[in-house]
Amino acid sequence: MEIYLPIAGMSINFFLVLGIGGVVGFLSGLFGVGGGFLLTPLMMMIGIPPAVAAASDSNQIVAAASSGAYAHWRLGNVDFKMGLIILAGGIAGGTIGVQFVKILRAGGNFEFVMKVVYVLMLGLVGGAMFIESWRTIRRSKSGAAAGSEEMGGAKMGGMFSKLPLKMHFHHSGLHTSAIFPFAIGTIVGIMAALLGVGGGFIMVPAMIYIIGMPTIAAIGTDLFQIVLTSANVTLQQAFVNKTVDLLLALILLAGSTIGAQFGAIAGKRLKGEQIRILLAIIVLTLTVKLFLDLVLTPSDLVSLAPAKGGGH
Amino acid sequence: MRRLAILLAVLILAGVGGGNADAVTPEARHKVITAASKNLVEIGLSYRGDQIHFFGVNPVPGSDLIIRLTAEKSEEVKLSVKGRVGPVWMTVKQYDVTGSPFMYKIHSNKPMSQIISPALAQELELGYPGVRHQMKMHLARGEAAPDDADKVFTGLIKIKEEANLYNIVEDPKRLEISEGRLFKHYFRFPPAATEGRYLVESFAFQNGELVGYGKDVIEIKKVGLEAWMTNTSQNQPVLFGILAVVIALGAGLLVGMIFKKGGHH
Repeated sequence: MEIYLPIAGMSINFFLVLGIGGVVGFLSGLFGVGGGFLLTPLMMMIGIPPAVAAASDSNQIVAAASSGAYAHWRLGNVDFKMGLIILAGGIAGGTIGVQFVKILRAGGNFEFVMKVVYVLMLGLVGGAMFIESWRTIRRSKSGAAAGSEEMGGAKMGGMFSKLPLKMHFHHSGLHTSAIFPFAIGTIVGIMAALLGVGGGFIMVPAMIYIIGMPTIAAIGTDLFQIVLTSANVTLQQAFVNKTVDLLLALILLAGSTIGAQFGAIAGKRLKGEQIRILLAIIVLTLTVKLFLDLVLTPSDLVSLAPAKGGGH
Repeated sequence: MRRLAILLAVLILAGVGGGNADAVTPEARHKVITAASKNLVEIGLSYRGDQIHFFGVNPVPGSDLIIRLTAEKSEEVKLSVKGRVGPVWMTVKQYDVTGSPFMYKIHSNKPMSQIISPALAQELELGYPGVRHQMKMHLARGEAAPDDADKVFTGLIKIKEEANLYNIVEDPKRLEISEGRLFKHYFRFPPAATEGRYLVESFAFQNGELVGYGKDVIEIKKVGLEAWMTNTSQNQPVLFGILAVVIALGAGLLVGMIFKKGGHH
């Protein structure tokens, strides 16, 4: 069944889009990531203009994340206090990040810089996460230290416990400085603007390993702040670039909202380290793909530069 | 009524836009009379491109035909050229290209080189050399190289051909002429063919000279939901953005609640 997307200006298979939305929604509910880092490249692969893909993905992330956040809230996994502090940082960082993007664009090769940053970030995050969760799994298999999940994080979190503005985060069972979550929110906000994604794949590991939150609370809290940041991005894209394809977003969100529910349920059944090793494998696969994009000879040396108006 | 309006628009265009490079109306002794299976293509939810059949009368029996489909408006595009820098590939220069048609298709009943001279083809903009002649390239960034013009032109043709927006078919089976008089063929409009007006021009040649000319106008426009979404997003972006966020939030929460209810059982 073919359907015509008005803003993208192309006809595409309805079930292909629905299926991609479902798979990404499942991963989103499972890992607490917005899925933008998977969805945008996938949309571009099936021929959606990059500007339309990015803007419409932000729109559907609002839906997927709110569905996932609602499910996690019901399961008691959202630390609102922590979420709001990170969000404040995220908005500050996003504003700075957009300025960086502007400067890079003016100098050309924004896409190239983006890919290099992607490869470095994803490689680092994916690699570290893979090694850590692999060790945890091996340790728990040999029968030792079952509750070791929070050990690494607690150690790093301790380094920052001397900072002022201490707050008690009842939900995450933490007593730590508010400066730190705010700073992480800011850094992730900058990265998110640079890479054009929600930033969950950086945020969740940062919350687990650096702040020291339990995996499941980190995921729930991250989804909560993603709802608000992606809503902001959708509005900006609609106002400034006019590239939000509502029809595309609606199909994607039909698939992803349903997928996210199953993801949240699956997340409850899997152990923290199992979720992390799965996410690590996905992140590393994407890293390899992007790295190959940079070094292999492109099939077409001449390509259409992304137009300002997306499909128009 | 609509047909009349289109016809009127064509007449006005032919008169006013005479000096415009996009609307060259060649002088010919005879008019090629044609009929299209439709002149208006509507883009609805299930639009997946369209096919339009054309029938016509060859004004000079036995003459050869070349039929050209172009978008009325020419395009402005930016093309990136990648190059190797150390171990990686990155964009090393960009060209602004103007004057190339958004869509360009040619049907002829035999190879064009056997019908007209390269000079006449150039003059009438029939064939890719004619397109290239109209095209203007301007280096936007990077350092120019002597073979850039070729590279950019070939690259653009390839991109367009892959999208089925450009092609040239020189085949008597594709453009059938019965007994030298009646001809029929069809043009395929791919889904990428967006809203706008398209010209289908029929040229008749005898002994390398233009003896007949005719023109059809095809209009493609969005209707219903497609038209509403396009117009709202472009003309009322604030409303559209808020709507998009509200719908997404509502859908997300709704699905969340539905699943929660189901979870109790």
